[in-house]
Amino acid sequence: MFPFDWLPKIRKYVPSAGNRKENRSGVDESRARPIVSSLSGNLEEAARRFPDWPDFVVFRFASVSEERETPAALLYLEGLSDKKAINDNVLRPMMTGETAIRNGVPAPTVGGVRTARTWTEVEHAVMSGESALFVDGREQAWIYNTAGWPQRAIEDPQLESSLKGAHQGFVETGTQNLALLRRYLPNMELRIVSLTVGRRGRTSLMIVYLDDVAHPEVLKELKKRIEKIDVDAVINTGELAEFIEDNPYSPFPQLILTERPDSAVSQLLQGRFVVIVDRSPSVLVAPVTFASFFQSVDDYSSRWMIASFIRLLRFAAFMIALLLPAVYISFISYNYEVIPLQLFLSIAESRERVPFPPLLEAMLMEITLEMMREAGIRLPAAVGQTIGIVGGIIVGQAAVQAGVVSNIMVIVVASTAIASFILPSYDMGTAVRLLRFPMMIMASLFGIIGLVVGFMTIVAHLVALESLGTPYGSPLAPFRWSDMKDTFIRFPLWTMKNRPTSARPVQETRIGKDRPRGDGA
Amino acid sequence: MRTTALNEITLMQYIVLIHSSQVGTGIFSLPRKIADSSGTDGWISILIAWAANTLAGCVILLVMRKYPDDTLPDLFRKLFGKAVGKLLLIPVIAYYSYYGFSVLVNSMLYIKAWFLPYTPGYLIVLLFAVPTFMIVRNGMRVLGRYVEIVFYMMAWMPLFLLIPLDQGHWIHLLPVLKEGWKPIVRGVHDTLFSFAGMETLFFIYPFLRDKKRAFHGLFIASSLTLVLYLFVTISCFVLFAPDEIGMLNQPLMNLLKTIEFRFLERFDMIFLALYLFVVSRCWILYSFSAIYSASRLFDRPDHTKPAAVFLVIAAAIVFVHQPTWNEADRSETVLTILNEWYMFAFPVVLYVAVKGKELLGRLRSE
Repeated sequence: MFPFDWLPKIRKYVPSAGNRKENRSGVDESRARPIVSSLSGNLEEAARRFPDWPDFVVFRFASVSEERETPAALLYLEGLSDKKAINDNVLRPMMTGETAIRNGVPAPTVGGVRTARTWTEVEHAVMSGESALFVDGREQAWIYNTAGWPQRAIEDPQLESSLKGAHQGFVETGTQNLALLRRYLPNMELRIVSLTVGRRGRTSLMIVYLDDVAHPEVLKELKKRIEKIDVDAVINTGELAEFIEDNPYSPFPQLILTERPDSAVSQLLQGRFVVIVDRSPSVLVAPVTFASFFQSVDDYSSRWMIASFIRLLRFAAFMIALLLPAVYISFISYNYEVIPLQLFLSIAESRERVPFPPLLEAMLMEITLEMMREAGIRLPAAVGQTIGIVGGIIVGQAAVQAGVVSNIMVIVVASTAIASFILPSYDMGTAVRLLRFPMMIMASLFGIIGLVVGFMTIVAHLVALESLGTPYGSPLAPFRWSDMKDTFIRFPLWTMKNRPTSARPVQETRIGKDRPRGDGA
Repeated sequence: MRTTALNEITLMQYIVLIHSSQVGTGIFSLPRKIADSSGTDGWISILIAWAANTLAGCVILLVMRKYPDDTLPDLFRKLFGKAVGKLLLIPVIAYYSYYGFSVLVNSMLYIKAWFLPYTPGYLIVLLFAVPTFMIVRNGMRVLGRYVEIVFYMMAWMPLFLLIPLDQGHWIHLLPVLKEGWKPIVRGVHDTLFSFAGMETLFFIYPFLRDKKRAFHGLFIASSLTLVLYLFVTISCFVLFAPDEIGMLNQPLMNLLKTIEFRFLERFDMIFLALYLFVVSRCWILYSFSAIYSASRLFDRPDHTKPAAVFLVIAAAIVFVHQPTWNEADRSETVLTILNEWYMFAFPVVLYVAVKGKELLGRLRSE
């Protein structure tokens, strides 16, 4: 948000490590040394390069070809490669000679063979789990794709569970995630742009999009932003998002992180871009709008009336989570004339024993609640329930009885908490959680006017925000009638003939002929 | 030119922008002013004022049509050259700043009177300055979006005025023209200012994407304001006795006070607080016009610095001077006169200048 605009300016005056000349990537001239013809020379070099690595394996053997035995060695990292593939498909055919011979070397039965002439290539290959074969008398190495690292099985998405959606979530392997997407879209127009980010981490990214739907300008912008990133490593998709989002000083998420292939595919079909980050179990969706954080996959698989109701509920929950404690504070401490007398009396009665001003009372409860929430995340599921009981029942009950907080405040804080859980996007939920506090402070300082001005500021911020150059407030501001079909009310699918304009699709129509409308026509 | 290309606004945003430049705090006292000068026939003067203002807007559009992508500062430069154009820009900036400032101060006075009597005025102005700054520095595109979303968000507000209407006496309006045309014409003068806002067209029109619809948009926007004013005025006339209405300072507030729900007393407080959204559009638009012109005066593309300077000065003036209701009233009288000259005479002069330049160019080429 704008108050922090001065931060980068300060950074200029702080001496940083980046100003010193240093070679962070660790690549120097001697590293690119060519491979020599003698095997022993190569192995000496290898021992220098991979010194005392317990997982580094040098397997020396005699390669059999045309009844002739040549000394050879296979280099690989134990944990990163598929042992079965190495034993059965590389070593066995070579040692027994029961295989075809290419270029005087027995060809192993693996897909993905290439040759390398410099040590840099060998290093990269070995580090990423491939194995390198050196043969005596040859000035090159053969690289076999035997990569196979520890992997998690495909499981139900943890953060975004759904009732009727698919139960496959993304995993930590980029190519597998791509496969999950491809399963939904066996379409030749599905294009992939591969990029590598991070000097040390060399994280591979894949930008996935539909070529005849997605806007090329957005792709250009996305690529430009990713290519600009110059860091050691991108470990998680969230890190990538922070590097490429439009406004880093905003509490609102400007890109969607999802761990659901089905929702990623539906975003692809709308003309958006999906960025798969290798080693991260969530993908990035861009560009997005404020309203898209209120959509969930279940909306489309349940009946449209029910889905619309739930979506309206979410927007209401957003307002409640953002404003309810603030409204309560302002009504209690400033504008009590708004509350009807009967209600006011009962509030006053419950507040009788509370010694704190409303803001302090609310802060106390809110912070307790936020702490319980954080504690719940860190704890294992079995202990997590205890937190609920201790926090919710014991602390809540005792606090009221001890006269620390009023009954009404407990109701307000609890309903706020429930409301903030309804938002399908975790990131949007946290944004609301955070914004609640400044709103509460504004309310306690200026009453209802503080609230209105605070909300005005949020609206002003939202309309100014953009996601990859497309307006974040769309379809509300700028207003678009056609996109309204999938905003507050989820219209029947057959009425949504066009893709949303907020994604700037090149090809607009997505549904052809009319479906039967239920009247038998 | 370079500023308009990236900042295009849609027709709907254009309409709402014009509409919001017209609707400010004046609406609260409008029924009283009209009743004072022309009795319950005053609604006819609203019609006349609407016609006059729409006409003035059309003249402005006629001027702007010749240079469709130029805002007022660019137009000045093209018509009078660089130095003179800049010199002429200074009174223009002063006018828009003064207008924006008085809307800001008026809103501050309302808020101070109804909600925060013990809060110093400058603090309230600073409070308003935060969203204003965030919008203005981002240019017309964001301003258009803000105005539009506020319009939809607050569209329900007039509907609540229907609630007390069943207790009204429509007989108050009859007979029509009970005192002839004279009081009605007298009322026009007071009403004209309520419609003031066409002068922001100098800054809105160049950003409009679909320029062919400019006149339609103008008409719709102005009619929207007309309907709103007519509705509010007639509601007040119907609900309050004709003798009584002159004594109520802000009849609309009294009208709102009668609305009450079982779960919500003093609905008027909430209404007024939310009305701040509506008024904010007005002061933001005027201060944007001033800030935009100022940034062109110094040939700077960004609005951040002029915006900050404007808002800080506004808060500083309120801090030092502490305006009162009486001063606001007096300032409004001055502003009314200024506005009449600026909105009705100035575009005609400009039009003559544009035509003269055209003629000159034609003569030269022959």
